[in-house]
Amino acid sequence: MTTPLRKSLYVGFAGLSIIGTAAACAPTTTAPTTQTPATQDGGQAATGTPTSAATSSSTAVASTGGSTYKDGTYSSDGTYTSPNGQETVGVELTLAADKVSAVNITVHPSNPNTKKFQGEFAGGIAAQIVGKDIDDLNVSKVAGSSLTSGGFNEAVEQIKSKAK
Amino acid sequence: MPHPGWRTFSFEGIGTQWEISTPVEIAPAVRGELHKTVAEYDQTWSRFRPDSLVSGVSRGPGRITLPEHATALQEVYSALYRLSDGAMTPLIGSSLERLGYDSAYTLTPAGNPLAPPRWEDVLDWNGTELAAQAPVVLDVGAAGKGQLVDLLGEVLHQSGHADFLVDGSGDMLHAGNHPVTVALEHPYNPRQAIGTVVLDNAALCASASNRRTWGDGLHHVLDGTTGTPIDTTVATWTIAASALEADALATALFMLEPPRVEEEFEFSWLKVSSSGAATFSTRFEGRLFT
Repeated sequence: MTTPLRKSLYVGFAGLSIIGTAAACAPTTTAPTTQTPATQDGGQAATGTPTSAATSSSTAVASTGGSTYKDGTYSSDGTYTSPNGQETVGVELTLAADKVSAVNITVHPSNPNTKKFQGEFAGGIAAQIVGKDIDDLNVSKVAGSSLTSGGFNEAVEQIKSKAK
Repeated sequence: MPHPGWRTFSFEGIGTQWEISTPVEIAPAVRGELHKTVAEYDQTWSRFRPDSLVSGVSRGPGRITLPEHATALQEVYSALYRLSDGAMTPLIGSSLERLGYDSAYTLTPAGNPLAPPRWEDVLDWNGTELAAQAPVVLDVGAAGKGQLVDLLGEVLHQSGHADFLVDGSGDMLHAGNHPVTVALEHPYNPRQAIGTVVLDNAALCASASNRRTWGDGLHHVLDGTTGTPIDTTVATWTIAASALEADALATALFMLEPPRVEEEFEFSWLKVSSSGAATFSTRFEGRLFT
C-alpha cells in the first residue's frame, strides 16, 4: 500500500525505424506528450529499472557497419509543464542497426497531484477486447472467473432441467 | 503444469479447484500441512457450513476470536469499504442469500435485492476480534480465496520450496525463477482469452461475473449499498504483491474507478466493461489481443 515516487516503464518498440536525426535526438520533446499517458500506472509497472539518466549522456557500446547511428543506449531527461508545475521525464533509447530496440521511460512527478492526474490518464487507455482460442495459445494457466464448487454447478443444472 | 517437468498437486478446497505446481514433488508432510491450512480457513470463514466460526454470528449477536490472518483481511476490507463508501463490504452475505446464493444453493431470489446492514451499525472488527451487534452474514469471498493462496504460499516457503505457482482456480501466486505466462479468460467465452500476462514473483487475481450466475442478471458481485448485482463491469484482473490484495482489488474495481483505489494500493489492473471495452494500467498495455 505504498506509493512509488519514481516509476519506470519499459516499452518494447522492436523494429521501429528511426526516420531522421530529429527522431533520434528528440525524446526530450516528444516523450512527454506521446509517452506520458502510457507511463502512468497506479501500480508496479516497472519491468525495467529506473534510470538515473544524466542529461544527454550516451553510452554507445558498439557500432555496426553501414549504420547511420552508433548502436548503444542513449538517455536524456526532458521536462514539461503540467498543471501542477514543471515535471521531469527520463527517456532511454536503445539503438541497434538504426532501429530502436527498446525505450525506457522514467517519470518522477515532483508534485503529488501529478500521480493522481496521471492515474486518471491511464484510465483513459481503452481497447475493445478480442478473443483468441485458449487451445491455440501456448499457455497452461488461465485467470478468469473462478470455477465454482460442484454443489453450485449441480444446483444450476437442476434449475436448468426444471426450467425445460 | 506451468513448466515442463513440474509436478502438480491438485485438490478441492473452499468450494473450488486448486493446483499447486512445483519443480520438485511436494512431500507428503507438506501436503498435509497445505490441506490443514485450507481446512482451517474453511472452518473459520465459510458461510456455507453451520459449524464455521463466522456462522456463529449469523445466528445472533456475539463475539468471536479469529485466527491471526484475520488482521490483514480486516485491514484490506476496512480500506476498501471506506474507499467505496460501503459498496464493498464483508457483510454482503445477507444480500447474496436474499438473491438465492445461500448455503442450500436455493438459487431462487427470496425477493427484491436487499442491502446488507452498514458495517458501522452492526460490526466491530479489529484484527482478530470481531463483535456483531446483530445477526450478520459475513462473506469474505471477495478477498478470502486470495488470502488462502498467500497462506499456502507461506507453507511452501517455510518448507523450502522457492519455486512454485499456487493456483486457486484462477487466483494465483508465483514465486521463484521461472515466470509463468497466464491467459486472461474472455468474460463472454471461457474457451477464449483476451490476452496474456507474465507472472513473475507476484499475485494475479481475476474477478468476473460470467460463471457464477444463476438467473437473469443474478451473479455474485453485488453492490453493498443496494444489494444488487453490478452490471457495468464484467471482468477485472489485478496484479499485486499479495494475492489477498490482488483478489480484493479485483472485486473493488467492480465498484470503484481505478484512480481512487490507486491512492491507497499499489497494483496493476485491467477492467472490461459490459460493452467489451477494456481499460488498463501500463502493466497490461500491449498484453491484450488486437
